Amino acid sequence: MSDIVSIIQRVLGDVDLVLGWTATGAGGVAAPARFQTAAEAERAVFNATCVHNLAVHLPRLKDQTVGIVAKGCDSRSVAQLIQEREIDRDRVKVIGVRGLGGSIDVRKIWRFHGYGVPVDARTDSLFIDGKEVDRQEFLRQKCLGCRDMDPVIYDELFEASGSSITGIADAATVETALSETGLGTSLTAAEAMSAAGEDESRPLGELFAKMNSAERRLFWREQYSRCIRCYACREACPMCFCRDVCIMQTTDPHWTGAGVDAGEAEMMQLIRVNHLAGRCTGCGECERACPVGIPLMLLMNKQNQVIEELFGYRAGTDLEARPPLLTFDIKGDSRSEK
Amino acid sequence: MAELKLIGFLCNWCSYAGADMAGMARMKQPGELRIIRLPCTGRVNPLLILKAFQQGADGVLVSGCHPGDCHYNEGNYYARRRLELLSRMLPAFGIEPERFHFTWVSASEGARWADVVTEFTGKIEAMGKA
Repeated sequence: MSDIVSIIQRVLGDVDLVLGWTATGAGGVAAPARFQTAAEAERAVFNATCVHNLAVHLPRLKDQTVGIVAKGCDSRSVAQLIQEREIDRDRVKVIGVRGLGGSIDVRKIWRFHGYGVPVDARTDSLFIDGKEVDRQEFLRQKCLGCRDMDPVIYDELFEASGSSITGIADAATVETALSETGLGTSLTAAEAMSAAGEDESRPLGELFAKMNSAERRLFWREQYSRCIRCYACREACPMCFCRDVCIMQTTDPHWTGAGVDAGEAEMMQLIRVNHLAGRCTGCGECERACPVGIPLMLLMNKQNQVIEELFGYRAGTDLEARPPLLTFDIKGDSRSEK
Repeated sequence: MAELKLIGFLCNWCSYAGADMAGMARMKQPGELRIIRLPCTGRVNPLLILKAFQQGADGVLVSGCHPGDCHYNEGNYYARRRLELLSRMLPAFGIEPERFHFTWVSASEGARWADVVTEFTGKIEAMGKA
């Protein structure tokens, strides 16, 4: 079995640079890095704090050949970018990661153990400040019930797992883990509101599911009132690659004004949801990047779910597939119109 | 009660002509709907509908050629997918899905157009302002 350093060094023989991680974040957690030489690659690591979706950098590196370390979920973004012909399959080498067993929510560690506490996050165990803790308790919400454990595409395969991989084998295990850790019940309303809502099984998602339209309107108004128009959601999104011509910042057509208020922020997110229809792979980077904790994935996950129901389509799982809104089915399309 | 704001996005070739026919035949229909003429329902960016709601519309109606009759052959097929997705997403945005309606009215269906408008306006009137 190869370690990540030697795989990256090998791939560097074919490409200009490799996107990966070094352990240079606070407390030794992973921070994204790019490696151009074998010597630089000596510092590469892979562990369960490698949460970032590095595919976001690929459209900006189109003129180079790039290697990328990609978890199962990240590989869907790479696949979707190839599907949209935004990047060229021949110019990207994917180092797919298998057997990670879910990644760790570092912010949760910081919240309970202090910022910068030493973290050692492996595929089957988690040590905080040298002491072993229950890994399940600190898994990212989006990793619970993961459907993308194996990379969709890869040129090299990196087996992350050591001997045993804990948890997230099936939905039942997730349920048990959730109830054991009390994650499903112990959050206060304020925590639930500030915590990101990545899917409907979460406390916030449950809350949201029970609301009626008027309550949801109020809910979003309240959420969007915190928006500071930093565009972090857009910058962190691998599928938001229009950059210079983003309609959220144009005055012609004038979809959103420049004001920082809930109404403008709402329009901004409606644009994002709409533009990511059939393209969003649900990686959750927009929500993770949001500095004011707006639960953006409530909308994205809902839309992905509807698209799967209507069109049987999941973005970035099939290089040959045609995105559902770029095609139609004369007889098969469901119709609620009359 | 303040007057309702209803927006209608109509395709030029079928529904707009159908509405025209209803008018010329002096069919009785409510007047709250403000009609915006578009070349095709395929031109209906779902954001137009969301923006209308955001700016205070109480109801939005989209109408075009019947499937198979599109002047551009396939515009309404694309629209059908987009609008179906939109109507299922409206509850998540906090907009009552009943406030949005999409339908097909051909150029010869003046009477049907009058029915569509009457029914839609009545429904929104019953719901009240958004």
